[in-house]
Amino acid sequence: MERNNIRNFCIIAHIDHGKSTLADRFLEITHSVPWQKMADQYLDRMELERERGITIKAQAVRMQYSPGGEEEYRLNLIDTPGHVDFSYEVSRSLAACEGAVLLVDASQGVEAQTVGNAYLAVEAGLTVIPVVNKIDLPSADYEDTAMEISDLLGVDPAEVLAVSAKTGEGVERLLQEVIRRVPPPGGESGLPLRALVFDSIYDLYRGVVAFVRVIEGVVARGMRARFMATGTAADIDEVGYFSPDMISCDRLEAGEVGYIITGIKEVTRIKVGDTVTGREDAAAEPLPGYLEPKPMVFAGIYPVDSDDFTDLNDALDRLKLNDASLTFAKETSKALGFGFRCGFLGLLHMEIVQERLEREYGLGLVITAPNVVYEIEERGGDTAYVRNPSDMPDMGTVAEVREPYVQATILMPPDYMGGMLELVKERRGIFQDMVYLSGRRVEIRCRLPLAEIVVDFYDQLKSRSRGYASLDYEHAGFQPGNLVKLDILINGEPVDAFSSVVDRSRAYDYGRRITQRLRELIPRQLFDVPVQAAIGGRVVARETIKAKRKDVLAKCYGGDVTRKKKLLQKQKEGKKRMKMVGKVEIPQEAFISALRVTREETGK
Amino acid sequence: MRLYVHWPFCLSRCAYCDFNSRVAARRHMEAYRLALYAELEAWACMLEENKRRLSSIYLGGGTPSTLSGAEISALLGKMTGRFVLNSAAEVTVEVNPANWSHEDFTAACAGGVNRMSIGVQSLHDPSLRLLGRAHDRDAAREAVRHALRCGARSVSADLLYGLPGMDVASLERCLDEILETGPHHLSLYALTLSGRSPLSLAVSRGEVSLPCEDEVADQYMAAVEKLRTAGYEHYEVSNFCLPGHHSRHNLAYWKREEYLGLGAGAHSLLGRCRLYNTDSILGYVNMLGKSQMAVDGWELLDAADEREEAIMLGLRTSRGVPENILDAGGDHLDDLEFRGLLARRWGRVSLTTRGMLVSNTLIAALLPA
Repeated sequence: MERNNIRNFCIIAHIDHGKSTLADRFLEITHSVPWQKMADQYLDRMELERERGITIKAQAVRMQYSPGGEEEYRLNLIDTPGHVDFSYEVSRSLAACEGAVLLVDASQGVEAQTVGNAYLAVEAGLTVIPVVNKIDLPSADYEDTAMEISDLLGVDPAEVLAVSAKTGEGVERLLQEVIRRVPPPGGESGLPLRALVFDSIYDLYRGVVAFVRVIEGVVARGMRARFMATGTAADIDEVGYFSPDMISCDRLEAGEVGYIITGIKEVTRIKVGDTVTGREDAAAEPLPGYLEPKPMVFAGIYPVDSDDFTDLNDALDRLKLNDASLTFAKETSKALGFGFRCGFLGLLHMEIVQERLEREYGLGLVITAPNVVYEIEERGGDTAYVRNPSDMPDMGTVAEVREPYVQATILMPPDYMGGMLELVKERRGIFQDMVYLSGRRVEIRCRLPLAEIVVDFYDQLKSRSRGYASLDYEHAGFQPGNLVKLDILINGEPVDAFSSVVDRSRAYDYGRRITQRLRELIPRQLFDVPVQAAIGGRVVARETIKAKRKDVLAKCYGGDVTRKKKLLQKQKEGKKRMKMVGKVEIPQEAFISALRVTREETGK
Repeated sequence: MRLYVHWPFCLSRCAYCDFNSRVAARRHMEAYRLALYAELEAWACMLEENKRRLSSIYLGGGTPSTLSGAEISALLGKMTGRFVLNSAAEVTVEVNPANWSHEDFTAACAGGVNRMSIGVQSLHDPSLRLLGRAHDRDAAREAVRHALRCGARSVSADLLYGLPGMDVASLERCLDEILETGPHHLSLYALTLSGRSPLSLAVSRGEVSLPCEDEVADQYMAAVEKLRTAGYEHYEVSNFCLPGHHSRHNLAYWKREEYLGLGAGAHSLLGRCRLYNTDSILGYVNMLGKSQMAVDGWELLDAADEREEAIMLGLRTSRGVPENILDAGGDHLDDLEFRGLLARRWGRVSLTTRGMLVSNTLIAALLPA
């Protein structure tokens, strides 16, 4: 096809603003999916994605469209993940497009992430087509939403389109505007190959399927190729595109979007953002913008039953096939036994991994409260990274502890500004700037320690703004902090899984709350159990879980032993959901909720 | 072999009851009695002669004393017509203090009953009203005296603790008053509310409040102490007796001896099989009317089940269990012993009074994984 008739575009939208529904309408209008296969939200393939209504893995679909039955166009829709954890993936998807549909819910208005991603698109030089969605809703406010978008992008409000992805209203027009406004791809097919890998999936039989956008040159079946960042050499076994199922073809030329299969089995060798070139006629320079995935949030994942350790290991190995940004390393906890310290891009990423492990692999897991990575400068001048609070070295040997910060943007209606500023202050945030986007939306910019975000910042943000505030952030390097390690002792023994790193000025208060919380979370045992919080051997808080006094079945009516056994069986089942730490049975939930709830209370 | 006969009828339903019992008309009782006889006949035909020798009979309920003393005698006569009663057999009937006159007690004794278990529950009139019992304090003490006078070899009284509004002092008063009447045996049960009994609904609506866990535990500890001082042996979690007055029928349950249960919802242990009849009175009557057994289910026990049961049931008694049937390591037992929850003597492990109070947790901890 003529390159002039190709359009590569994506949809930028906040969660629930209707991206997947709009994509479904596109597929319908262009007859890209047979009716029988048209499950709702076709592009969100994984069961989990469909259930949570969010897109985790980007997809790329080729659609044929001839508006008014005339000239035929090839539209490549590149799906982008819709969560702050995956902003690097978003930026790579954007780099594969010339245009972006910015989709905003008419009843919700612009959200922080939309702004973040819209600016990313503008910076990447994309043509942005602003669209207000859900105009069929009674609560839709098209005018104000259009004004907000025009303020944001500096465009004429008249350029903002109105659609209802649900009813299909305005969607044909939108497709036509995509053809009209988005420029066709540039790039010369005669140059040495440079193709951008913007995502990959793992196929059990064929290995890694890399999604590519050919920027220059041609990628063809049988070609001897090389991935420039990882240095992986591979031969192209198959070239093709999605429509929306995989359809193989001979070649993809400059400007086209599709997939390549090389037989490589490890996702870590084909990384998002990498550049594919030929081994014979190699490009001199890779495409710009490649970054190593860098997990910032860590948590321990342990099997409830220590016999499941091998199964957990296998499951993580298999998840990793599909998820290059997941990292994990074996670790041993005195409290929890053998498990893994896993690294995630963010909290949502962590929750997704946890759910997939439990759902797809049927594993019972204990997951410790998440923590960030700390940069330690030792007195000797060496720098080390600590991914588990219990590994924090003795403060005597440490010159400085640095923690990761993020550059955050919070968007909210002006009414909630006071509450948000307070939240930022409580969370050790450094306020920087405030801008009114329109009469009904304010933007706060600030720096925040990532550690404050990973616990429950997002929940607080939502609850203190009745759900109207939204957050976007990007990592902004390490900054020194006055931090101490707080240990928790249960029955006199330190429980490493409860260790945390906290700001010194709040350590006492924090210790008091976490011990109180643990007293509530840990059921009464057969003996008194002291719960203490300590900083470097000095106890700063103490609670006692009083011994259980009465737990007895009175009567055995007429020899009904069966009933008694059932009750006992129940008790034994309950025991299985406990983790024995020393002589104390601790419920699994305690490991994550003790630290989380403590923060919520502090926040009030 | 031991025989349990379930009589599920009551004159009125107690406020805390979610047990298998019904308030029913006379003709229903009649139909039920015929069904009992039919079931008795069926088992008598199936069991071999040595299994038809009974060392105890227990008439429980419900309220067996909704039958008159003479009717109880007649019922027993039917049983002993098809089974052989050992000469020293224990024959117990549960009696509600509101039901029987002195004549009933005498008639029951004459018919072979030699042990009476009186459902006193409390000697505090407001508590008795709250529990929905039909008797008062005086009637309860009177019933115990009748039972003692009519010639029964053993008389037992059931008492509840952990009642709404009760404290240690009021429980002790209640115990003193019951001890004055001189029963040989006492069963002390914690009020347990479950299901949709009127009292448990009242508690969930906040109209009645129950004493807290620590208070209930204090009551139990105080009661055990008081009864011990009065010369009663604490031989099972809830049971106390003067020397020689153990409930042998109930002990058989804890020792896993064989027993046959007749009646709706009755349980049996025969060889390695536990079986239980349907709970439904109507279902039971209909089945037996059609010459069918009313067995609702059974469970075949393997060696592991038998061991588990032996631990679970044995640890409820003061005799305890042999240490070598427990899986728990010596360390664990040392620890529990150190904490005063169990005692080890002569190769056996038994629970202390404090241990008995938390026996669910302890037993779950001591069972093989």
